[in-house]
Amino acid sequence: MGVMAEHRIATQQEWQAERDELLAQEKELTRRGDELARKRRELPWVPVEKDYRFETEDGTKTLAELFDGRSQLLVYHFMFGPPYDAGCPVCSSIADTLAPQVVHLKARDTTLLLASRAPLQRLLAFREQMGWGIDWVSTHGSDFNRDLGFLHTEEELKPFLAGEIPATVEQNARMCGTDAAGYVTEGPGLSVYVLSDGDGTVYRTYVTSARGLEPAMAYYGLLDRTPKGRDESASTPSWIRRHDEYEEIGRHNG
Amino acid sequence: MADRRIGTREEWQAARDELAKLEAEQAERNQKIKEKRRALPWVRVEKEYEFDTEDGKKTLAELFDGRSQLLAYNIMFGPDYSGGACPGCTSLGDGLDGSLVHLNHRDVTLLCFSRAPIDRLGAYKQRMGWEFPYVSTYNTEFPFDFGLALTEEQAQHIPEIKQMVDNPPAWLVEWSHQIGAELKDGLREAPTWIAFARENGTVYHTYTVRAPDPFVAPYFNFLLDRTPKPQPDEPRSFRKDEYPD
Repeated sequence: MGVMAEHRIATQQEWQAERDELLAQEKELTRRGDELARKRRELPWVPVEKDYRFETEDGTKTLAELFDGRSQLLVYHFMFGPPYDAGCPVCSSIADTLAPQVVHLKARDTTLLLASRAPLQRLLAFREQMGWGIDWVSTHGSDFNRDLGFLHTEEELKPFLAGEIPATVEQNARMCGTDAAGYVTEGPGLSVYVLSDGDGTVYRTYVTSARGLEPAMAYYGLLDRTPKGRDESASTPSWIRRHDEYEEIGRHNG
Repeated sequence: MADRRIGTREEWQAARDELAKLEAEQAERNQKIKEKRRALPWVRVEKEYEFDTEDGKKTLAELFDGRSQLLAYNIMFGPDYSGGACPGCTSLGDGLDGSLVHLNHRDVTLLCFSRAPIDRLGAYKQRMGWEFPYVSTYNTEFPFDFGLALTEEQAQHIPEIKQMVDNPPAWLVEWSHQIGAELKDGLREAPTWIAFARENGTVYHTYTVRAPDPFVAPYFNFLLDRTPKPQPDEPRSFRKDEYPD
């Protein structure tokens, strides 16, 4: 764990002056964030024309049926492909923070669930191990992830796999019981849908991946307000583990 | 449903690409602010405080539980609240346990403060099924020194609070019923995130942020920000075991 960065010690008054200046910038960030949310809602809606099928705990379902009586659907595309014997550790940490939101989102007319390409039984067994209260559906055998750009072909991955594989990718692949190629075949993402109250058409409204998923990592938002911050570097492998796989590490005796 | 524009996949992609540029700019802006936040000076905490915790009395330094950083959310739950904590703060609290183990392994102790006595915090924590430590600031000067609560006198001299107490909007009247306290008392608690560092036995205050910063809002708001339907301006908050349906 990194050493605390250099820092200045100041009086309350000095701190307050600098805090006020920063607050003005934080407010500007908030204002622009609100503007972005408005712009997201202005994106056109695209009718989902393909008839996707999902394996769920209650049998095979269509995309419209996944809404479960609500009009908005959020799908977190969790990296857990057919060659994996356990879910991606980073997606697992995301699921830790998503699962408790399900009950509150329901009250806002929104269904949140996880989707992965591994067979349903493997997803459910892993979910039980992790203790998450969130629905998980299998897209096994459907083009759903591919059509959204969250499933990559061998051909597409060639340049990436020919280069130096980042330590984090190697580490995560190992933790999923697969190799780098098997691991990065899957991509993480969030896709959002709305069900028309008229004719039952499903529209896709928003899709994001990569850095767009950062807000889903609630612990990062929290670390961003601590004195040390995320304390990460590109050269060290990810510190994120599944919540039951952290090794006890020594605490600081400051 | 709001005005909707139906597009082809290509039209959506073009609009999405434009939006992606703005999202990248926002991420860049956020990155700069994070750096500035970490560059804030630290202020030594001179006063000794003693808190009631689930494990007895503890000092501020002891709340770090051996780690070097302390990040705490102040839940609005004052001594006068007879109905429980603020429902909005409670929803925020629901989102913390998912991050708890990850932060603990990142040298951060995450906990919540409230000003109600510890036995009431303990009962409420059990009701909500929370895991994070919940610490009472009851009968300490801590919440007043760090802007987590206002004295009765202070509250009377803040025009915005006086205005809300004298002419409350409907949602605030309902909120007052939910917490089981009059607004003049209920609004004395400040929903706040506060961070401290501990180094060589000394505790430093590093950061405070209050509403309306989006960080001081239930975590599901970031998901709702990505859904197509606009949210009401003043959505009602409910505790997860009290939703009306």
